[in-house]
Amino acid sequence: MLRSRGVLVGVTIIGFWIVCALAGNAFVPYDPYADDLLATLQPPSAEHWFGTDQLGRDIFSRVIVGARDILTLAPVATLLGTLCGTTLGLVTGYFRGVVDDVLSRVIDAVLALPLVIIALLALVALGPSNLTIIVVIGFAFTPIVARTVRAAVLNEAQLDYVAAARLRDETAVHIMVVEILPNVISPVLVESTVRLGYAIFAVATLSFIGFGIQPPSADWGLGISENYGLITGGFWWTVLFDALAIVSLVVGVNLLADGVRETLEA
Amino acid sequence: MSRLLFKRLALSFATLWILSVLVFGAGQVLPGDPARAILGPLAEARAVAVLNHQLGTDRPLLVQYWDWISHFVRGDPGMSYAYRAPAGPFIASALGNSLLLGAVAFLIVVPLSLFGGVWAALHAGRFVDRAITLLGLSATVIPEFVSGIVLILVFGVWLRWLPISATAPRGGGFGSQLFHLILPSMPLVLVLFGYIARMARAGTVEALAAEYTRTAVLKGLPRRDVLFRHVLRNALLPTIAVIGTQTGYLIGGLVVIEVLFRYQGIGTLIYTAARAKDFPLLEAGVLSVGIVYTLATLIADLLYAALNPRVRFGAGE
Amino acid sequence: MSKDRKRLDAVRRDVGVLENDLFDELLSGCIGRRDFMRHGSVLGLSLPLLGGIAGAVFGPTLSPRRAMAAGTPGATIRIGIGQPAGAIDPVTIADNGGLVLLEPTGEFLCRTGPDLVLQPQLAESWRPNTDGSVWTFKLRQDVTFQNGRKMTADDVIASIDRMADPKNSANALSAFKGILQKGNSRKIDDHTVEFHLDAPNGNFPYVLSTDNYNLVILPADYAGDYEKTFIGTGPFKLEKFTPKVGASFVRNPNYWGKPALPERLEYSFFGDQQSQVLALQGGDVDVLQQVAFKGAQALFNDPNIDVMSIKSVSHQQVHMRTDMAPFQDKRVRRALALTLDRKKLVAGLFNGRASIGNDTPFAALFPSSDPTVPQREQNLAEAKQLLEAAGVGKGFDVKLTTERYMEIPDYAVLLQNFAKAVGINIALNVEDQNAYYGKAVFGQSDWLDSVLGITDYGHRGVPNVFLSAPLTSDGTWNSAHFKNPTYDKLVAQYIASPDLGGQRAIAGQIQRLLLDETPLIVGYFFDELVPMRKGLAGIPPIANRLFMEGAHFT
Repeated sequence: MLRSRGVLVGVTIIGFWIVCALAGNAFVPYDPYADDLLATLQPPSAEHWFGTDQLGRDIFSRVIVGARDILTLAPVATLLGTLCGTTLGLVTGYFRGVVDDVLSRVIDAVLALPLVIIALLALVALGPSNLTIIVVIGFAFTPIVARTVRAAVLNEAQLDYVAAARLRDETAVHIMVVEILPNVISPVLVESTVRLGYAIFAVATLSFIGFGIQPPSADWGLGISENYGLITGGFWWTVLFDALAIVSLVVGVNLLADGVRETLEA
Repeated sequence: MSRLLFKRLALSFATLWILSVLVFGAGQVLPGDPARAILGPLAEARAVAVLNHQLGTDRPLLVQYWDWISHFVRGDPGMSYAYRAPAGPFIASALGNSLLLGAVAFLIVVPLSLFGGVWAALHAGRFVDRAITLLGLSATVIPEFVSGIVLILVFGVWLRWLPISATAPRGGGFGSQLFHLILPSMPLVLVLFGYIARMARAGTVEALAAEYTRTAVLKGLPRRDVLFRHVLRNALLPTIAVIGTQTGYLIGGLVVIEVLFRYQGIGTLIYTAARAKDFPLLEAGVLSVGIVYTLATLIADLLYAALNPRVRFGAGE
Repeated sequence: MSKDRKRLDAVRRDVGVLENDLFDELLSGCIGRRDFMRHGSVLGLSLPLLGGIAGAVFGPTLSPRRAMAAGTPGATIRIGIGQPAGAIDPVTIADNGGLVLLEPTGEFLCRTGPDLVLQPQLAESWRPNTDGSVWTFKLRQDVTFQNGRKMTADDVIASIDRMADPKNSANALSAFKGILQKGNSRKIDDHTVEFHLDAPNGNFPYVLSTDNYNLVILPADYAGDYEKTFIGTGPFKLEKFTPKVGASFVRNPNYWGKPALPERLEYSFFGDQQSQVLALQGGDVDVLQQVAFKGAQALFNDPNIDVMSIKSVSHQQVHMRTDMAPFQDKRVRRALALTLDRKKLVAGLFNGRASIGNDTPFAALFPSSDPTVPQREQNLAEAKQLLEAAGVGKGFDVKLTTERYMEIPDYAVLLQNFAKAVGINIALNVEDQNAYYGKAVFGQSDWLDSVLGITDYGHRGVPNVFLSAPLTSDGTWNSAHFKNPTYDKLVAQYIASPDLGGQRAIAGQIQRLLLDETPLIVGYFFDELVPMRKGLAGIPPIANRLFMEGAHFT
């Protein structure tokens, strides 16, 4: 898998941002959180490579450490969505009948709503916090993962080994977890790497809409949200570098996800 | 076919009903209350209680829900709490705005990506092909607000070619409105370009390799005619599928675009209604999104089946 | 003795005790021209008279009326405002976008002018009794509503009772609380109304002025269908109102006063400030309702746009829960207040378009503020000492909850950085405004329950509102949970105090008490900014209001 050029580029980009998130504080030129109210909105210069923001903070330093929240939240949210979705998919695919019908309708209902609208409702209701972001994205991913898993389980449930397990009087939980799950793990893995790409997308979007990550985080989406009112005034540097950082990360994650899919599905 | 249609419709109604219950439930946990949202934080508690009584929001939840849904099924979406006016016209205008934006995006992206996909397929494996595929893939995964910001900077602020605001000034006319929608539609175009071009490319490659194309070329038909007749038709199918499956996404993307470009669409409406706890407006807004989604999926499925005889019989559930 | 002095003595024989107190203050040099004009206007002395007297003492000056030069009539002026949050109804409306729409067609009994001077509008004059507990308002006799009916005392009383009635869902109910109850406004004749207050109040006319945003005078038989007619007595009348889109007004040919200069006003609604700014820059509108400095920076660099900067007392209150750890000790509260570098705040957040605050609502702009109270400056050493004395020398963690509104999130970040210097670690929780205010009652509102928070307070002509509900023991907006009997007594005295000298003496005590206790940090009072196209003139610089009747292009 690592031999593919795309995957290599993806892994390099992600690796770069992970290192920045973990150790960025050690090599940034300024404290990313320190304000300087007498030097606000300075254009890029030798002193401040990417300029300064409305509070005089050094944008280069903030971009470097800005991946910290998104790289924590997106994987956790994906994990949550995958766990819940797999459970739901196993249950609906295995039992079918009324349980399946009812749950499938609820899944459809959730899928009929775009993520952003679910997020708007949930974030107004729950209040903004990192936990809310995780719950919202996990919740939105659950039905999507569940659908994939259910389709795979439907196929498996008709196979002989499941019938054999039933004849052995194994409990339903045992059959689902021990017998079926290992056989559907490959689509689950593919789905979850693809979801990770979307999760990055979603976290960035939610923090842009202004409902997630709290200030003074250097998060890129939050940075764009706080500064994009300024671009007509000519303060382009307050948003451009955050935007490019997001582009690099999402492209990196998706190159990796493509590689995973090709490897597992081959 | 009609039995299938009937079943699909029944399921859709069930889905929409569940959606209405979910939204109602979500509406109850939103902070604040409708009268407080109208009167503001500094108003006296007594005045707030009086207004809640006037609005009927102090009644038991089930009564409120029944009151709302019994009117809704008769085609009456109720009165907005905040605006004290029928919710219908607000929804219609907001949904109209959103659909217009979506339509502009599709008008641009469909020919563009079909062309790109077919072109890539004709040059399969060469540089053009790889460039289109790679660009399409990258553009698809970039959040709309990020590409939107870059587009605003380049075309709105630096080159000054296009207006930054999605809303034309009052009295500007339809043409002016369309002009204002070009920039806001571009992020959607970017996201969709990758999907549609990829499918069109795959469809074309398959069609080019197919027996009937070779036969046609061997029969001496000009290559251009063959391409046009067979290949484009096949490329169109996946596009319709994309329209169906991506509507949900599209509406979500529209919300972000509406926020970025300050456009008064359905997303903005739902957001303000949720904040104001304007329940009738919120329900009507969310359900209209649900209905559009369900209808789009349904129509796309039917069209797909009509255009492609192979799936007609296999299209169980 | 000069001729002017003789005239002054003649006036003194005709007026009451309160007015003569004011004259004494003037003559003894306790107050300046601006304060004299302003306070005289509260007592109902006419502006020409006040101007004449002030002229006698200070020498002649341009009268405020001359400053509003006549311009070319007939313009159509396009105004960008925030989307009204709900139906336009003077009884319920609460947001700026909705309130500004009341101004073309509606009028108040009196209005606050530039420099907080009260100007008569529908009331000709007003006069208190000796202790300020009964106020008599004389109404203009030549006023008609846009439907042709004459305005009388009945309309005024009905308009006020409608707002003061607890059985109505009236927004202004809180403004009348403890001041005037329904049924206590009495008709003397068709054009005279007497108000019997719950308690003496030296600044009562402000309660009936534009300061009480909702209190436009409506016909007695107003039935709640305001959006159809926008009925009122103002210089414009409604042409068309479209919810969520805009409204247009035309000149009212039967207006009682000087006809308005503009022929038409077109209000367009915008979802947020940024789209208003874009519309102004793009030439789609001519003037904006006040904008926040944050996000309006682009306008200051635009050669086609002027920004009118109006001194105001709008501010953000940082409250600290005085009944809970870690702020139950006033030394800790003082320590946090001492970490702020206020001059830097004004420079960084507003590029200088604000005035520094001294942790009380008494802005320097209020004539009653005591200027001798020392200004609190940044002092980290003292802050550290105070924390050590309070037993938290190592610092502590605390959560700051606030709303996403104007520059508040940035202010919160700066507070966080300031506090870090003395070991106070602040975590931020910035919420949507609705979530922050919640149900706006104790126990169900982050605004009122949070241990540390920031809340916005809009401009008022007198500090009475700021002093009462947010700080008194039974105050309904007391998010600091500040309970201090001495303070309560002082505020009651301040409100009752009829003369400026007395108000200022009590204000000094209140300011010193609040500095000592520090339930609030008030870092700055920011200017209101009204951006407009170059060449537009005639809009009076009044904070929070946008009066268009004199607007014209030069």
